[in-house]
Amino acid sequence: MKTIKKDLVIIGGGPAGLAAAVSARKKGLSDILLIERDKILGGILNQCIHDGFGLHTFKEALTGPEYAQRFIDEFHGLGIEAMPETIVLSLDKEKTLTVSSKKGFVKIKANAVILAMGCRERTAGAISLPGTRPAGVYTAGAAQNFVNLQNIMIGKRIVILGSGDIGLIMARRMTLEGAKVEAVFELLPTPSGLARNVQQCLNDYGIPLFLSTSVFELHGKDRLTGVTVAKVDEKFQMIPETKRLVPCDTLLLSVGLIPENELSLGAGVRLEPATSGASVDDRFMTNIPGVFSCGNVLHVHDLVDHVSEEAALVGQSAAAYLLDRTESAAAIPVVTKEDIRYVLPQKISGKTDVTLSLRVTRPMRNASVLVADGDRKIARKKLVRLHPAEMIRIKVKAKHIENAEKLEVSVQC
Amino acid sequence: MLKKNLVCIVCPNGCDAEVMMEDGQEIKILSIDGCTCDKGKEWVVQELTSPMRTIASGIPVEHGDFKLVSVRTDAPIPLGKIFEVMTVIRHKKLKAPVAIGDILVPNPAGTACNIIATRNVAFMAV
Amino acid sequence: MENQYDVIIVGAGVVGNAIARELSKTSVSVAVIEKELDVSMGTSSRNSGVIHSGIHYKPGTLRASLNVLGNSMMADLCRDLKVKIDYIGKLTVARDEEEIKSLYMIKEQGEANGVPGLEILDPNAMEKIQPRVGGIKALHSPSTGIICPYSLTIALAENAHANGCHFFLGHGVTAIRKIQDGFEIEASGKKLTAKVLINSAGLYSADVCRMLGIHEYNIYPCRGEYLILDKRLKGTLNVLVYPAPHHGKAGLGIHLTNTVSGNILIGPSNEYLEDPEDYACTADIMAQLRKEGHALLPELKTTDFIRSFSGLRPKQTRPEVGGFKDFVIEDREDIKGFINLVGIESPGLTSSPAIALMVRDMVGKHLPLTLKNDFIGTRSGMTGHFHELSNEEKADLVAGNPDYGEVVCRCEQITKKEVLDAVENPLGVRTINSIKYRSRAMMGRCQGGFCLPRIVQILEKEFGYRPEDYLLKNRISPLFLGKMRQDTP
Repeated sequence: MKTIKKDLVIIGGGPAGLAAAVSARKKGLSDILLIERDKILGGILNQCIHDGFGLHTFKEALTGPEYAQRFIDEFHGLGIEAMPETIVLSLDKEKTLTVSSKKGFVKIKANAVILAMGCRERTAGAISLPGTRPAGVYTAGAAQNFVNLQNIMIGKRIVILGSGDIGLIMARRMTLEGAKVEAVFELLPTPSGLARNVQQCLNDYGIPLFLSTSVFELHGKDRLTGVTVAKVDEKFQMIPETKRLVPCDTLLLSVGLIPENELSLGAGVRLEPATSGASVDDRFMTNIPGVFSCGNVLHVHDLVDHVSEEAALVGQSAAAYLLDRTESAAAIPVVTKEDIRYVLPQKISGKTDVTLSLRVTRPMRNASVLVADGDRKIARKKLVRLHPAEMIRIKVKAKHIENAEKLEVSVQC
Repeated sequence: MLKKNLVCIVCPNGCDAEVMMEDGQEIKILSIDGCTCDKGKEWVVQELTSPMRTIASGIPVEHGDFKLVSVRTDAPIPLGKIFEVMTVIRHKKLKAPVAIGDILVPNPAGTACNIIATRNVAFMAV
Repeated sequence: MENQYDVIIVGAGVVGNAIARELSKTSVSVAVIEKELDVSMGTSSRNSGVIHSGIHYKPGTLRASLNVLGNSMMADLCRDLKVKIDYIGKLTVARDEEEIKSLYMIKEQGEANGVPGLEILDPNAMEKIQPRVGGIKALHSPSTGIICPYSLTIALAENAHANGCHFFLGHGVTAIRKIQDGFEIEASGKKLTAKVLINSAGLYSADVCRMLGIHEYNIYPCRGEYLILDKRLKGTLNVLVYPAPHHGKAGLGIHLTNTVSGNILIGPSNEYLEDPEDYACTADIMAQLRKEGHALLPELKTTDFIRSFSGLRPKQTRPEVGGFKDFVIEDREDIKGFINLVGIESPGLTSSPAIALMVRDMVGKHLPLTLKNDFIGTRSGMTGHFHELSNEEKADLVAGNPDYGEVVCRCEQITKKEVLDAVENPLGVRTINSIKYRSRAMMGRCQGGFCLPRIVQILEKEFGYRPEDYLLKNRISPLFLGKMRQDTP
């Protein structure tokens, strides 16, 4: 089998991979290869035809394809090599990849690898949805692909389970195309998607959102005929007397995203239970020297702008690693305390400024995120609203952390 | 006095705006609380007088490397005009190639916007 | 003459297809009638996929003898048909003295049935076969195996088809008339005649009997639910582990079963129903299975459950009676030429090749059976899947056919070539489930979230599908409701 040598290989040509490639090239790295399994670059942005992308990055509200195109143009403008329609079958800890495409089956030996594979959607099986297994049950992302890329009408009478952003966006999309969206049901007491999406995708069209309510049974042996929904108590147990049947021909699931880390696991990358993504240092390097991770494969983001920003940092880190061959100096652990679900990076060097990304465990108001080293307060960010659906970022200055033992992140009311 | 709560949709922050207005038919805003930027405040005023939205959809393209070209309005349109503009979009058909930014329908349904392409669709011989 | 056959088999499950293949070795003309659009749509695809050793059945019963014979035939059959089978063996584990007694009883029974290699093991020997198995003694049955039940059924059908057997899929039998020297069968508006009629209709076998005025049989559907676990857990289970029968109770209980594709199944439950088509999964049993799964597999995470399914056993006994009745396999004396199979539940999958031999001999009493010299008993293609090959073999195949290089289903690493082969199956079945069962695409942890849109595209580009042509399993299970936008004038 043929073996190709590459300095930097980036797995995934979505927003994370593109931004990482562009920034690595701008840092002076010449030998870069980006591998993308689709025919076109841009990843999931290609099917996200709604607007609202790029407000941070470009100061305008772009659609997914427009946002992607800006990076694709820059990527091609810099002459970076892409290998489209190619799937990575395996990655090992020596950073050897086996890849497969119509052109053949090859091995690639890389000096550094950036993992940018994105995430996948949770399914009906993953949430153990009882009932029959009829046609008409789709994850919201798959439905988005059929509608926006393949010109297919997936259904006329639609129920959406889960108030993740993709579900909300699809509620509006299907309504605009003439379908009746009966309702969105959310197990949690608060919406999982952004508040603006609840407003402009549901409220604008009079689509009801039922919180603390979930789907408990699918009906229909052939095509879906309806779903049984019911309210849940604070322990998420179904309240039987609230059961009711909602007739529909389609159920869309927007019940969460899972980082796609099967390749990472094969290489021995250590994952964090809280993010299902890699554990990384302040250069976004995993436990395997020269293997970096960014974007939704590292932790699921709510904004593509943050993905691009993070990936650009990772591109720079990978370039610096290859150009200077510096070992990881990260020795200061960053840990979560009260009300913090996760924080990332999980380890820092203390030698550079670092932006911590984190999510809270529950909705709160008028509280501060506090970064501390024991009794010493290092950084504090006041927020009017804290919500698990919204990633919080907080900057920590090098001069405050160079001698830190451990950074603890908590919420203070 | 009348109190109104709005979720700002200008950016992903989704600020909770609390607006105090005078009673009566005419909209007289007394105060806006909760917005963290000026754009948000402008949006609130607009929202209370005449709400505006950007919409996105797709238009079939003959001989394209994509079946549909994704499109959007290049400016917000009145909320109440959305379905009229959708009807215009629904009846439109195109031939490849289409370039990102191309104006595909000027002033749909009499609105002060254009329907523009949001992706490139290349010609593909069958 | 068109629609006139020597033998017609009603029901395209594993038994019907094993019989069809056996008869396709001979000069008789054979047709299989099936109400579903594909073979293996009932009990044959919805079970544990275990090739049983035959220890659990009373000596002298059909279940005992056909199981042991079927088990011994399965290795050669699977080799010829390119179906993956793995004789991984089974431990039946005793936890107290009483259960040890029943182990010895089962061993004696198994030996009387002719089950090879049975051994009672002490904890040391058990631990070597399956670490952390627990229990104080176990019966090891090395001839227990695992197989993909629908792969076997499809392979039998395709091989029968290649040897001249006709298939009428999507044809539900509505009436049967005894005519002189045979039968006239109405199925979805078609009239067919046969000299010999074989009833292998599984859950509907008693209904077929009634069409001929036989009222002595009843079928009570008994549902078993399963959960499928992520392949991540592959390797945690080396053999099948069953609890020993407790205090004379016969049921096999909820247990873990490895599959040949590397998943683990938890199940099955046991629940009698009225409806022979009710393949729903229920909240209570799913919760119970999850609980038992966590108890049996400590490393199990909640994200490891990828799908649930259920199957129906065609029981001959009422729920209040329970237990097992022996298989009914009879050459009816009152209705000449009617070979009747009723109540073929477990171990029907294992017994199927042996049942086929028995039924062949019954057919031989009505029709002269001369062996064809052009029978081809083997299938072409590979056993298993592309991704299971070595890197070198893969490289060679991709070089020869670029469609092997395009991975369509990323979770199961199923290639475009394998999907195309599944679409172009010899039986001409074109449902999404038929592609799934044949290629394994859509069966991984993302359950088609990634590859279904791609498969839809392939079907459109290569086979001219329109949105309304995509069917999940039958004619009334459309995936889509047409185009979103009319793109042609």
